[in-house]
Amino acid sequence: MTQRNLRQAALLGGVLSLCAIGASAETLRWASTTDPQTMDPHAVNSAPVLSFLNNIYEGLVRRGQDMSIEPSLATSWEPLEGENGWRFNLREGVTFQDGAAFTAEDVMFSYQRASDEAADVRSWFAPVSEVRVVDDFTIDFVTTAPNPLFPDSIANFMILDKDWAESNDAALPARDAENFATMNVNGTGPFTVASRDPGVRTTLVPNDNWWDEVQHNVTETVFTPIGNSATGLAALLSGEIDFIQPIPLQDVEQVEGREGFKVLEGEETRVIMFGFGHEHDTLLYSSDVTDANPFTDPRVRLAAAHAIDIASIDRVLFRGKIEPASQLVPAGISGFSEANQDRPAFNQERARELLAEAGYPDGFSFGLKCTNDRYINDEALCRAAASMFAAVGLNAELSTGPVRDYWPQLREDDFDMYLLGWSPGTFDMEHPIRFLMHSQDDEKKLGSWNFGNYSNARVDELLPQIQQEINPAARQAMIDEVVAITQEEVAYIPLYTQPLIWAAKDNINLTQRADNFFMLRWVTVN
Amino acid sequence: MIAFIKRYEGLWLFVHSPAAIVAAIVATLIILGAVFAPWLALVNPYDLASFSLFDGLLPPVWEEGANPRYLLGTDDQGRDMISSILYGARLSLVIGLSALTIAAVLGVGLGLAAGYYGGRFDAIVMRIADVQLALPAILTALLIDGIARGILPAAVQQDLRVAVLTLAIALSLWVNFARTARASTFVQMNKEYVQAAIMMGQRPSRIMFVHILPNILGPLLVIMTVDLASAILLEATLSFLGIGLPADSPSLGTLIRIGMQFLLSGEWWILWIPTLLLVALVVSINILGDFLRDVFNPRLR
Amino acid sequence: MVYFILKRLVQSVFVMLAVAFLAFSLFRFVGDPITQMTGVETSVADQERLRDELGLNDPFILQFGRFTGDMLQGDFGFSYRTRQPVAEMIADRIPATLELGIVALLISLFVGIPAGVYTALRPRGIATQTILMTTLVGVSIPTFVIGIMLIFIFGVQLGWLPTFGRGGTVQIGGWESSLFTVEGWRALLLPAITLGVYQLTLTMRLVRAEMMEVMRTDYIRFAMARGVPMQKLHYKHALANTMVPVITIIGLQFGGVIAFSIVTESVFQWPGMGLLFLESIRFVDIPVMGVYLVVIAFFFVLVNLIVDLLYVAIDPRLRVRDVQ
Repeated sequence: MTQRNLRQAALLGGVLSLCAIGASAETLRWASTTDPQTMDPHAVNSAPVLSFLNNIYEGLVRRGQDMSIEPSLATSWEPLEGENGWRFNLREGVTFQDGAAFTAEDVMFSYQRASDEAADVRSWFAPVSEVRVVDDFTIDFVTTAPNPLFPDSIANFMILDKDWAESNDAALPARDAENFATMNVNGTGPFTVASRDPGVRTTLVPNDNWWDEVQHNVTETVFTPIGNSATGLAALLSGEIDFIQPIPLQDVEQVEGREGFKVLEGEETRVIMFGFGHEHDTLLYSSDVTDANPFTDPRVRLAAAHAIDIASIDRVLFRGKIEPASQLVPAGISGFSEANQDRPAFNQERARELLAEAGYPDGFSFGLKCTNDRYINDEALCRAAASMFAAVGLNAELSTGPVRDYWPQLREDDFDMYLLGWSPGTFDMEHPIRFLMHSQDDEKKLGSWNFGNYSNARVDELLPQIQQEINPAARQAMIDEVVAITQEEVAYIPLYTQPLIWAAKDNINLTQRADNFFMLRWVTVN
Repeated sequence: MIAFIKRYEGLWLFVHSPAAIVAAIVATLIILGAVFAPWLALVNPYDLASFSLFDGLLPPVWEEGANPRYLLGTDDQGRDMISSILYGARLSLVIGLSALTIAAVLGVGLGLAAGYYGGRFDAIVMRIADVQLALPAILTALLIDGIARGILPAAVQQDLRVAVLTLAIALSLWVNFARTARASTFVQMNKEYVQAAIMMGQRPSRIMFVHILPNILGPLLVIMTVDLASAILLEATLSFLGIGLPADSPSLGTLIRIGMQFLLSGEWWILWIPTLLLVALVVSINILGDFLRDVFNPRLR
Repeated sequence: MVYFILKRLVQSVFVMLAVAFLAFSLFRFVGDPITQMTGVETSVADQERLRDELGLNDPFILQFGRFTGDMLQGDFGFSYRTRQPVAEMIADRIPATLELGIVALLISLFVGIPAGVYTALRPRGIATQTILMTTLVGVSIPTFVIGIMLIFIFGVQLGWLPTFGRGGTVQIGGWESSLFTVEGWRALLLPAITLGVYQLTLTMRLVRAEMMEVMRTDYIRFAMARGVPMQKLHYKHALANTMVPVITIIGLQFGGVIAFSIVTESVFQWPGMGLLFLESIRFVDIPVMGVYLVVIAFFFVLVNLIVDLLYVAIDPRLRVRDVQ
């Protein structure tokens, strides 16, 4: 503690003197809603942590401004010959921030560390059977089956220095106690931590020995987590911070209307949807239908889909900033099925007809579970949806709660219908098929977020083939088939792609990437 | 006879206190509105089929783009603002009054007894009070909420949110009553009339409630005034922190929480209409409380 | 007297234990820490293993015993969320909350007591009516609305004061203070006012009520009749006699200040214990929540003890009772 306080005091002195001579022009002060929980890149698999640490640590590959995979610590990679897997040729002359040289041993060490039981990111390496160091700058990742997407799936796999981690007793990620890597960093990336006060302030400064060409002109950045969105917006408008992610949708106009500020709008890759309890025998929360589960009938699920007035949701709740979704990934993500772009139209008449056909001419009541702090406007969305369902006779008993006890409820099948948002971690359609559409299979770790256990034998059969298919056209044909089946059966009701709204002062140039990661290496302060 | 004079005198004071008259009118209007909400309101906020998102975010009639059907506009769900605040005031008043009643009965009873008997009983009550005080209202609410979630079946939890919230607020308020009643009772215990009553062998309950209680009503009334207001505000605060009522059973606090999202965005009415009503209600209660205190306790005039 | 203090100390320990027990029993209902600690791709088996490692599958009594046992040995455990030592996390945040709370309390006393005395002595004055109305409206607006209004008026529209954080802080022997820099005071002002408004009104109303009561008592009337100067009468005799209930309320208020600082800290992103606690609830960070509650309980018990002792010191009649 003392050491950190000393550092803070020293830093404070530094900031004061900088202000005094007016040289703070390239200091970037920014805020986001959540503080990264840890500085350890393998301890927690969460967006705030991975996003923040991508400025400090680097992987073998990285994502460019358009999300494409590009070389980082590996300069090139090719499929192994004679076996399944990939060979990575590593960049030479790279040093960690403490001056140690980067070699294949560090990659090997980081692989072992990240795939250990104590690591939260180990699922990335589920397909890997063996890793071999060929020489100082060549390393092979052997996989159990052909895996064309493996390089894409490890963009957030960050490399630590073996000696640094081992000599500081941080050879494994901290699980239930602090270790050196929780608070300290030593990456190869463009920035390094100058001081950290968790939950309050984290200061980053550029790494002068970074191997890549420097595009930013930042000399120091101060990050502050601001949980309350109104406070965050006030801090931006009063000039205390330069950039904030995200801002509430309804305040976009206000920020745009002010001199000296700008709003950056984009599409996140997260699709918001409703799911059903496909395998439940009865409804849990119904006051009128207690001996059956109407949602097992695809006509009822389709009726629910027809009840949704997505245009009003867009206009009123999201101020025209959402893109309606037809499937579980947005257009532009690899594997997006262009053949199946239509979503069920808003048609209350048709919804009532379908309900009558299914034997529920007067509708029925059921329970709808939603979060109220997980997705943008999630609670308002569910209230609006409940009102829309009610208009066709589907009387939703809405129950909203914080996300902290939401997943356990879903895992215990405590729902009739539920809200879910899904962002494809690999930026490929295979990801939601694996997690949301394949039947639950604990053994193979498939369908682990398919809470309602939607199950279709053909989809289960196609998933491994999709995973292994090298030919893009054949692969897409199989994905199209999966999407067609799940649309036909209304496995989920995809609603829209969540918008991405950042705000900054006019003099800040930055890049908004679709994964909501804020990369300091593309920031210029004018 | 004394009661008659008191009432007469109170009436006389009332017509000579413009603040009290205005407060009484405002409070009566709000309470009447709340009581008759089902007949007065255009839509029922609990009936999801009675409003539509299509009508969302309409401004009050005097602003551009309004729909004359909705005099004070609509919120982000298309709910009529007037209907929302009528039902909101109804729910807030029910919660506030029930919580206050529970707190007052529990607190004054325990405080009086503690002050009267002293000794071990006093120590136990005050230690329980300490435990309660050491758990801020917000934590008490979390605790009650958590226990309710643990023991009640999921299906009834939603319906019992109001009861759970009321109990949480009541439990965080009773200590004020207990401590004040106890401290005042201590002072009264040394007075001649109490000592005389004890020596005459009157029953303790009679001494407590007939002799002591009327003499300590002054400070208790102050607490009661402030606490009815606190109860209503506490509900709003708990809602702000996300542990109050869900958005589809709108108390005034919940409406304000929802409105907070529109503080900057131009839809001012969603925040300020329920806030204004809440402030008007709480201020009126406070003024009337002050007034009643003066009536009941002429020495303060 | 010594016996009295000893008795209270023993009672205080029981209060702390009871709070710890209550606090601990509520954690089980707040949510599941494991799903907050792991990413979406973590398998159920891995989650279960972590649950075992953290001892979350053990019986409740065993978990509680471990929690209190470790704490009595000075081991406050590690945060589930940040994996830092909890003692250090809380200790780092105590100065922010205490400085905010004390400044808010001082504002409420320095404004509330004189205002209470003034409004008691001139109950019909226009200034009195104005003060009473203003403070009434002030306490009738929810704290979070006041805070955000202040932010928008003084931070965004006028640009006079910062809207979040502590501003400049300096280290004084491990205590991170914002009381020694202009920036620190500027940052402190809005949250302290927000937090103090409610307490101010309470203090003022109480002092006023007690003052008016005391002014009616016989001995003040005798003093008046004897020709004691009004000034001396008001401040030496009358005010001194209002102090017993005022001290009670200040004791109670300090609890209120700490409790409501959760809201204020959330609105102003004030890095105190309350903000840490809110974050901990969000992430179901059980060790931090537990220690926070026990620390808060400790403050309460301490303040209550002091209040009780002051009682005895001020009102000799109470001393007699306790000796009996």
